[in-house]
Amino acid sequence: MQILIYGTINSIALALMALGFALVYGISRVPNFAHGAIYVVAGFLTWAFLKAAGFSYLLSALIAILITGVLGALIYRLMLIRVRGMAISEIIASYAIGLAILEGLRWGGFKGMTYTLPLFIPGSVNLGGVPVDIHRLLLIGIGAAVIVLLWLFTHYTRIGLALRGMAQDERAALMLGIDSDMMALLATAFGSMLAGLAAVVLLPLGNIVVEAGYNVLILAIAVCIVGGLGSWMGAVLAAFLIGFAQILTVVYLGSHFQMVVALLAIIITLIIRPSGLFGRQKELEERV
Amino acid sequence: MKRTLNVLVLAALVIFVPSLSSAQKPIVIGAPLSTAFLYGWDAERGIKLAVEEINAQGGVDVGGKKTQFKVEVIDTRDLEPGVPVSDALMAVEKLILEKKADFLIGGPVRSEAALAAMDLLGKYKKVSILTTGSLTPAYHARVEKEYDKLKYCFRIHGEAGQLVKEIMACFGEIKEKFGLTKAFIMVQDVAHARGGGEILGKVAAKAGWTIDGTEVYPTGTTDFSMGLLKAKNAGSQILNIWMDMPESSILLKQWYELQIPALPFGSTLAAAEQPGFWKATEGKGEYTLCNVVNAGNAPSNATDWTMKFYDAYAKKWKIEPEGLGSSSSYMAVYTLKDAIERAGSIDSGKVVEALEKTDLMGVYGRIRFNPKNHQVIPSLDPKEGAVGTILQWQAGKRVVVFPKSIAMGEIQLPPWMKK
Repeated sequence: MQILIYGTINSIALALMALGFALVYGISRVPNFAHGAIYVVAGFLTWAFLKAAGFSYLLSALIAILITGVLGALIYRLMLIRVRGMAISEIIASYAIGLAILEGLRWGGFKGMTYTLPLFIPGSVNLGGVPVDIHRLLLIGIGAAVIVLLWLFTHYTRIGLALRGMAQDERAALMLGIDSDMMALLATAFGSMLAGLAAVVLLPLGNIVVEAGYNVLILAIAVCIVGGLGSWMGAVLAAFLIGFAQILTVVYLGSHFQMVVALLAIIITLIIRPSGLFGRQKELEERV
Repeated sequence: MKRTLNVLVLAALVIFVPSLSSAQKPIVIGAPLSTAFLYGWDAERGIKLAVEEINAQGGVDVGGKKTQFKVEVIDTRDLEPGVPVSDALMAVEKLILEKKADFLIGGPVRSEAALAAMDLLGKYKKVSILTTGSLTPAYHARVEKEYDKLKYCFRIHGEAGQLVKEIMACFGEIKEKFGLTKAFIMVQDVAHARGGGEILGKVAAKAGWTIDGTEVYPTGTTDFSMGLLKAKNAGSQILNIWMDMPESSILLKQWYELQIPALPFGSTLAAAEQPGFWKATEGKGEYTLCNVVNAGNAPSNATDWTMKFYDAYAKKWKIEPEGLGSSSSYMAVYTLKDAIERAGSIDSGKVVEALEKTDLMGVYGRIRFNPKNHQVIPSLDPKEGAVGTILQWQAGKRVVVFPKSIAMGEIQLPPWMKK
């Protein structure tokens, strides 16, 4: 029971961390290595609006998510657009942006453990003899809602369909009059907003520290590589695979090996099936 | 006209050059510290406070000449996850070669980096007083083993072996008072914590405690729920924690949310050492016990100097002394001053000899070094040696509960542990 409950919660948390990264790569083929930094920025923004401006948590979180969306759009419009299509340059540029943001925050004095966000509902409940804090249970609902809404958005809205068109075949989408740069910009903005959303629901369980940016980036990359770069449904499935594997590892081997699971998953996937579970990037090469 | 000008320039040189040459060059204290972390910034503040006080009183008497101290701080980043030890070594070398540090006080903070830096200190014959973070017994063991090469290395705060003795004495009090006998050890994956947890496990088992398990967490971990549930399922009554990462505050929040019936006892628990812990955990960290290594890092009346230091620190930095490196870093500067004045020189060899003969009543008791291994001599009585401190968070305050000689209150159990 313990493995089932905490495995599900951990998987949803991983999915939330990775969905934004998967969305941006899936549409624009730009690996946004500033993803972790945007996650941390969203946490600090929410904290600032909540503690300094005195707004409610919901309002603070909404403003923070919107700002991270704008930040993502600006990052794409001002920097990433110039290197789009040059894989190495995309990685270096986006990682440099993330690094500048995170180290800038540290330099600006955002360090220590005092930056915290409140739990949505404090306290815990007992599920089949397993104590679980209520906030974690809410995570399951929020995560499931995000996945469903994302699916509806990409299947039933004009922008969502355009984004999917871009993801499937950019040249064909261009011929149909879809502005690829605008779609890539929107994808980066939505991806950043998803990172922001992950931050406002996950950070109340801990505290806001700069180092979280690096951890989130590693986990997002692990999930996306296992799920298949570019496939956000693959990312969801991979989140469950890694999430449960992590919890099983903690229970039977110890917490020390939890992070190894994600790193090992990257290595094994790259050896056995480089395109991941649902990725199409190297499908042909693999078949050959 | 030109001749008159030359005469004036010459006269100016005759007047000013002697006064310039007689101006005493300051004694440079290099402080290699991981400044983004508690054990870095608390030490930096302690050092700067002491230097400011000493300079305001005229400075250090070096063979009859009053000389000012000057502090040069470099961020070693050694407490950050993933930063290699070599970065800390470069910081130490930079302090020595570029900043021309005469002495080093502070870190490196991480045990691994401090141990690696010892060879550099030996190579450059630079006296260093370790004041924060590094608790590994290997440090003073190396000094004793390779004395001629490493005699420049001193440590003025408690080390893991002594901490374990103090913790076991405190465990004894808890056992006697509340009848608790089962413990679960939670450690961060760093040398001092792994070593400390292992030693404590063995010593506690010998003392009749049941150790239900040990859980090791990578630096930067943010979810401790599974480990907490393991402790709960095993029926553990004490959570013995060895962590210096800020994320350890999350552990206490999760402990409260899950109402784990085990008393959290931080042997090293950076988060709970800080006054901001209460705010960071929204009061959920109440009842957490925490070892702050030396007196002065929490309010007590260990010596006449303890609260004077405490108040001066709070006045200057607008916050109470925060971590285990505060009082020891402050005291290291005064100890160095005392040694330089007795040596009458800043020559490393002479200062080493003087430091070995140190006998100073300080913030946390009598400061003396073991002349063979240069570890500060500990005691449970401040009149005899450097006294440790274990505090408990009670109603938003850090209350010193151990040792009895300086205790300001009694240990309490959380309501969900009371029968």
